[in-house]
Amino acid sequence: MEAHAVSGARFVDPKVLARIKDLELLARSVVDGFINGLHRAPYFGASIDFAEHRGYVPGDDIRRVDWRLYARTDKYFVKQYEADTNANFSVLLDTSKSMSFASGEVSKLDYAKFVAACLAYLSHRQRDRVGIVTFDKEVLSYVPSSAKHFNVLLHTLEQARAERPGRLLAMLTEIAEHFKRRSIVALISDLYENPEELLDALKPYSFRGNDLVVFHVLDPAEIDFPYRDSSRFQDLESGEEMPVVPDVFADQYRKMIRDHIDALRSKCSDSRIDYVLLNTSKPLDEALFSYLGNRERLMRVR
Amino acid sequence: MSFLAPLFFVALAAVAVPIFVHLIQRERKDIVEFPSLMFIRRIPYQSVERRRIHNWPLLLMRIAAMALVIAAFSRPFFATEAATAAITSSGDREVIILLDRSASMAYGDHWTRAQDEARRVINGLGGQDRATLVLFDRGVEEAVRATTNRGELELAVRQAAVSAEATRYAPALREAQSLLSRSDRQRKEAYLISDFQKSGWERQEEIQLPQGAVLTPVSVSTGDTANLSVSSLAIQRATFSNEERATITVGLINRSGTAVTNQAVRLDMDGRQIGTRNVTIAPNASGSVAFDPVTVAEANLRGIIRAGSDAFARDNDFYFVLSPSRTVSVLLVHADGQPADAQFLTIGLGRSKTPPFKVDAVPASRFTAANLEGRSVVVLNDAALSTAGADLLTKFVGQGGGLFMVLGSRTPVSGAWPLMPGSLSAPVDRTGFRGGTFGSPDYSHPIFEQFKDPRAGSFANMRFFRYRRLAVAPDDRVLARFDDGAAAIVERRAGSGRVVAFTSTLDGDWNDFPRHAMFLPLLHETVKYLAQYGDLEEWHTVGRMLDISAPVASMVRQGQTSMLPGAGRSGVVVSPGGQQTTLGGEGAPAVELAEQGFYSVRLPGTGDRRPFTVAVNLDPAESDLTALPPTDISSAVGTASTTVAGQSFDRPAPTPVDLEKRQSLWWFLLVAGLSLLLVEAVLSNIQSKRLGLKT
Repeated sequence: MEAHAVSGARFVDPKVLARIKDLELLARSVVDGFINGLHRAPYFGASIDFAEHRGYVPGDDIRRVDWRLYARTDKYFVKQYEADTNANFSVLLDTSKSMSFASGEVSKLDYAKFVAACLAYLSHRQRDRVGIVTFDKEVLSYVPSSAKHFNVLLHTLEQARAERPGRLLAMLTEIAEHFKRRSIVALISDLYENPEELLDALKPYSFRGNDLVVFHVLDPAEIDFPYRDSSRFQDLESGEEMPVVPDVFADQYRKMIRDHIDALRSKCSDSRIDYVLLNTSKPLDEALFSYLGNRERLMRVR
Repeated sequence: MSFLAPLFFVALAAVAVPIFVHLIQRERKDIVEFPSLMFIRRIPYQSVERRRIHNWPLLLMRIAAMALVIAAFSRPFFATEAATAAITSSGDREVIILLDRSASMAYGDHWTRAQDEARRVINGLGGQDRATLVLFDRGVEEAVRATTNRGELELAVRQAAVSAEATRYAPALREAQSLLSRSDRQRKEAYLISDFQKSGWERQEEIQLPQGAVLTPVSVSTGDTANLSVSSLAIQRATFSNEERATITVGLINRSGTAVTNQAVRLDMDGRQIGTRNVTIAPNASGSVAFDPVTVAEANLRGIIRAGSDAFARDNDFYFVLSPSRTVSVLLVHADGQPADAQFLTIGLGRSKTPPFKVDAVPASRFTAANLEGRSVVVLNDAALSTAGADLLTKFVGQGGGLFMVLGSRTPVSGAWPLMPGSLSAPVDRTGFRGGTFGSPDYSHPIFEQFKDPRAGSFANMRFFRYRRLAVAPDDRVLARFDDGAAAIVERRAGSGRVVAFTSTLDGDWNDFPRHAMFLPLLHETVKYLAQYGDLEEWHTVGRMLDISAPVASMVRQGQTSMLPGAGRSGVVVSPGGQQTTLGGEGAPAVELAEQGFYSVRLPGTGDRRPFTVAVNLDPAESDLTALPPTDISSAVGTASTTVAGQSFDRPAPTPVDLEKRQSLWWFLLVAGLSLLLVEAVLSNIQSKRLGLKT
């Protein structure tokens, strides 16, 4: 994955972030640093800017009628502002047991929490409505999108534990039913599923007009497979054990995980889904850039 | 190929270790948790099974290294005829023949058989075998040293003779240990040919032959140790009609399982049979027999006790010398007009029995040279001598006389007199505080030696109220001090004589010493010491050193020789075998009594008098022929083989140990194995680094 070079951005090492217990403080630290590091802030303050005129329809507040335009055209037009285009931002957080894996100090779930908190904070600051769904083999918590749910979201994140095996595909299908309104949906998971089946499970989100960003969280050990000694490997979710000779397995494994990532990226691209690979040893800028890209695109289409 | 320790091949099972490491133990016991085995599961496991041993060169190297090390420990060797012949013909033996020549070897035919055994060992030597012949008894003599010449060895064995000395195995074994340790030969052997007399071996001897050396004990003992010997001799003296008569009592030991019945015991004096007694002694018991008294008319009478006719003839004769008792002549010099002051001394000296003191007293003013004739000791009892008198005493002491000085108030402060041991000061008065006491007698000195035992009496209760302060010269010896550190008894050597000074009086005025129980014994010991009186030893044991200076000095003073007093002692000692040794002058200072019988000491100017004679007998321990098992010695000194007398000592066929030691294949195998392990370590490290970089 290519790194986004952001001049002046002060991204903090995930290992340092792991020591901050308060997720709001963590998110504020990361996001403020990230925002302040940008040379310009095209995404900031957009909500109070004028967006467009539209024809008056009965029921519209007459205070919003552009009387100057009426004077010129003798037609009623209503002003629309960016502030009126608040979006829903929902996080789908996979808390299956495989997310508890950590080869270093930061587990995949911790990293996912950081990402979720930062994205939620950024959205909340732009007056978006934020919500979260945590799940493993069933939905563990569902916080609907709301401008007032930021603190609830943070609390939900703090309570999230990766203790049970998951059913990602089934849960994605099930959760999709809850998204009636167009939203920005951030799926944070390690995506140990067949890419094609995964995309099938994600398509309903797109069909409903949601902008889906898939954050694929992987530990460096899952990518690089640095093991040397022959050992028995145990699947964290199923408990299955297998003898593994890294000297023999490593190359094949690395190729397989690369193919898997490529397949996911390719299929997501085909389905107009943003795919972001997150390495838990890297700073959070990848996630934030990806989110802001989507937020900008959503604003432009308004 | 054969192996010295084939059991080590059991360790070949250890070869499985590297295989095990390569195959099984490559999987760690701890389990690695991994998020998902989704991809790993897709990799065929069969390929893992097939490739478990993925580094055959390393595995083979490790197996080979272990096998080589194990083979090295199993000590391989080639037992081929060629290898055996190579060792047999190599002639690299170092052989030490320890031949016992102690007196006990004269028993029966022991010595002849011992010589035969020695010859047998010599005949068994190979062409290049090197042998040393060591004759031993109490001491050790290398008769022939490290030679391959059999003839020289055989000649030495033939010329060797039984000595009169006692048996001691330790010096001989130490000699063997030393010789074998220095040898560069591969095979080291020692043969101990002896009757293995029990009395010659002490178990606490710490002797260890070098590694690989073999000690072969060869016993010539027949088990028959019957022997009757004279164990002791007592002489009781009595004077009858001015003639001294001696009653001789002989102690005998029967060391056999059968009783000795009516055994004749004969006493010969100067070659004449004096008397015979028959004695009956039970098995392994002792008895005694007393002869009629014999008149001791002159000195150096030669006596022989003859008892028994057993196989050990040497201890059937017991030699002794009989001389009249010797009287010590003492001159007591007292202050003019004060004979009463010497009362304690006169009475005390007259009480001595052994030896009797002949005491004459003279006032200091009438002391002349004539008073010193035939004197051994002069007692100067708190008297001031004239210069001439002092010179006479100086000369007397220089010629070997003894002077006992009692220092009182009348003794002048004279620093110039060479006999005064130090400078004399004014008397010390200690009457105010219960007087002084003896502080620390020198118990190592002959005067105090017999009082060393606490039960022999104490000097602590004596009180000294006054005494003269004597600043002792550095060369003089303080024999006793008072409790304040002042010298009490001091000795000075002057010429051949001795001077002892007592810094208080002996009249009972300055101290209570003369009234004390220790007065008499201490006085007698002091005068005996000054007279250089030695108890007459009727006989000596073989091995002692004879120093004739004391007896000769006594003879000179008593006028038994025309030698000038103070002249160098010289003479010729003639051994029982007729060997002459010159003593004194340029000759030896003393002679070792190595033979049994009578030694004659011939001094110049003795005229027709009998020569001074010394009787020498065997060590009594040699008469006890009880043998100990030869293995007791051989096992105590390390590796050994058991051989009985009469066996052939031909060069034996090399043992597997010899073959293995000679070939030393284990060394090469071990080096090869360790080298392989080293290479393996380097290779595996390189490979590990490569794998690490690749990862």
